[in-house]
Amino acid sequence: MVPILLGLSILVFLFVRALPGGPAIALLGERATEESLEQIEENLGLDEPLHVQYVRYLGNLIEGDLGTSVSTRQPVTAELGRRFPATFELAAAAMIFAIGLGIPLGYLAAKRYQGVLDNVSLVMSLIGVSIPVFFLALLLKYVFGVQLGWLPTIGRLGITVSLDHPTNFYVLDSVLTANWSAFTDSLKHLVLPAIALGTIPLAIVARITRAATLDVLSEDYVRTARAKGLDPLVVDRRHVLRNAMLPVVTVVGLQTGLLLTGAVLTETVFAWPGLGTLILNAIRFRDYAVLQGGILVFAFIFVVVNLLVDISYAFLNPRIRYR
Amino acid sequence: MSIAEAEAAQISLERPSGLWRDALDRFRRNPGALVGVFLIVVFIIAAVFAPAIAPFDPGKQVGPLATNPQGPSEGYLLGLDEQGRDLFSRIVYGARLSLLVGLVSVLVGLAFGLILGALAGYLGGWVDFAIMRVMDLMLSIPGLLLAIGLVTILGRGLFQIMLAVGVIQIPIFARLLRGSILGQREADYVLAARSVGVPGRKILLVHILPNSIAPLIVQGTLAMATAIIEVAALSFVGLGPNDPRFPEWGNILAENANRLQESAHLVFFPGLAIVLSALGINLIGDGLREAIDPKLKS
Repeated sequence: MVPILLGLSILVFLFVRALPGGPAIALLGERATEESLEQIEENLGLDEPLHVQYVRYLGNLIEGDLGTSVSTRQPVTAELGRRFPATFELAAAAMIFAIGLGIPLGYLAAKRYQGVLDNVSLVMSLIGVSIPVFFLALLLKYVFGVQLGWLPTIGRLGITVSLDHPTNFYVLDSVLTANWSAFTDSLKHLVLPAIALGTIPLAIVARITRAATLDVLSEDYVRTARAKGLDPLVVDRRHVLRNAMLPVVTVVGLQTGLLLTGAVLTETVFAWPGLGTLILNAIRFRDYAVLQGGILVFAFIFVVVNLLVDISYAFLNPRIRYR
Repeated sequence: MSIAEAEAAQISLERPSGLWRDALDRFRRNPGALVGVFLIVVFIIAAVFAPAIAPFDPGKQVGPLATNPQGPSEGYLLGLDEQGRDLFSRIVYGARLSLLVGLVSVLVGLAFGLILGALAGYLGGWVDFAIMRVMDLMLSIPGLLLAIGLVTILGRGLFQIMLAVGVIQIPIFARLLRGSILGQREADYVLAARSVGVPGRKILLVHILPNSIAPLIVQGTLAMATAIIEVAALSFVGLGPNDPRFPEWGNILAENANRLQESAHLVFFPGLAIVLSALGINLIGDGLREAIDPKLKS
C-alpha cells in the first residue's frame, strides 16, 4: 500500500508540473500577472531540481498541506474535509442499496436458474453496464422528482429544515441532535442519488453473486451436505452463501472505484455538495490545487478500500492468511 | 440414431472445424449477440451514411429559436434544440464521433497494453515487476479521474480525448495479456518450439501471442462500450470534444441537462443513443466471450 501511495504522490506531483503553465499558474490562477508568477516561482523554489521539489512536496503532503484554493482562498485540506462526509454518506447509501439488493437478487436468480427472476436480473445487469450513470441520474430525477414529485432532487437537506452539524454526516448529525424532521428529510434527499449511483454496482453485484452461487451449487461438498440430510437452509447459509461471497467481495471492492467516479457525475446532477462537485468546479474554474487534492483523496480512498477487501478475504476464507 | 442426427453428424464430418469456425457457429446461434450486431450495424450505417440519412445539416438552424424547445413534431422526428437545430440529424451525425472515439481509444489501449503485457509476461523478472507496478498505480486512480487529469494536461482536442480514454484502458489489457501469456508460457508446445531452436522473439510472436489473444478480443469489444460511455462522461463534466460542427451525444445531453423539466427530449434521446450503442457492443462482447470459450458461460 505504501509504494502505491508514494507512486500516487509522484503522479500527482508530475501532474501539477505538466499542467499548461505549471504549478505557479495552479496556485495563482490564469489571470496572474508576470511579476507575481516570477515571485511565486522563486518562493516555491521551482528553480530547484525536480527531486528536491518532490521531497518538499511530499513533506507538505504528510503535514496535510495541499495548498490553497484559488477560487475560495481556503486551504484545500479544509475544503476536502468539509465535503468528504457528503460523498461518504452518498457512497455508503449507494453501496448499501447495491449490496442489500444485489446479493439476494443474484442468489435467488441462481437458485431458480433460468427462471423468470434469473432472466430479469440478466437483462437488468446488461442494461446496468450499458447506461451512463449521469443519464440514469437524470432519468430518476425527471421521473421521481419532476414528474411525480415524490422526492427532492437538489442538495442534502431542504432549505426550511435546520440542523446542527457536529460531524457533517447529515443523517448522523440528525440522530445525534435528535432532530427527527431533519433525519427523515436528509434520508429523503439521499434516496434518488443513492439509487442512481447504486444501480450499476447493483447490476454487477447481482450478476457476480449469481455466477458464484451457480458455481458453488455444483460443488461436491454441497451435494455431500445435502446427501447427509443437513437442513437445506443450513446448507445454503453455511456452505453455499459463504463460499459464494468470495468473488462478490472482490467485485464490491472494485466497484468502489467506479462508485467514486460515479459520485463525481451523480453529485453534479443532484447538486450534492460533495467531493465530486468540488472536483468539477475545480475543473471549471481551473482551480488546480483543489483538483490535485481531490484526485489524491479519491485515489487514496480507493487504495484503502482495496486493502480492506484483501483483509476481509482472510475472514471469509480461512485458507488465505497474510503474513 | 435418427436420420436427422445421422445427417447432422455427416455435415459436421464434412466441414473442417477449428477454434474460430466453432466460435462463429456458436456466436450465430446466440440471440443476444445477434441483437447486439443488429444495433451496432444500425449505428454504423447511421455513421457512414449520415449525410444521406439526416434530413438537415446538424449544425444549422432549421426551425425557430426557443428557450424551452418542444419535443418531436411534424417535420422534426425528434424535435429541435434551443438553437433550432434538428435533434435527429445531430444524433445521426453524433454516431460518427462516438463510434470513432470508441474504436480509436480501444486501439490505443490495446496497442500499448499488448506491448506492455507481452513484455511483462514473456520476459518476467524485474521487467515484469516494474511494468505491473506501474499498471497497479494506474488502476488505483478511478478511470474517469485519470481521464480528467490527462485531458486537463493535454487539452480538449478530439485526439487528446481519445488518447486519454485509451490510456485508462492500458492496464486492463496489459494485465489480461500478461496473465494469459503466463498460462501459455509453460505449455508443451512452447517447450517443443524452444527445444528445436526457435528464437525467443519468434516464439512470443508466432506461438504464444495468437494463443493468448482470445480474452483480449472479448475485453477489447467490451472496452469499446466503456469508452463511449467514458467520452460521454467527459463531455458531461465539460471536458468533451467541443467542436460545435461535430455533435457528440454526451455533449448534447450535457448542454441540455438543465432543460430536463421543459425539454426532456433533448436529454432523453441522446442518452438513449448512448445506452443502445453501449448495449449493442456489450451484447456482442458477451456473445464473443461465450463463443470463444463456452466454459465461461455464466
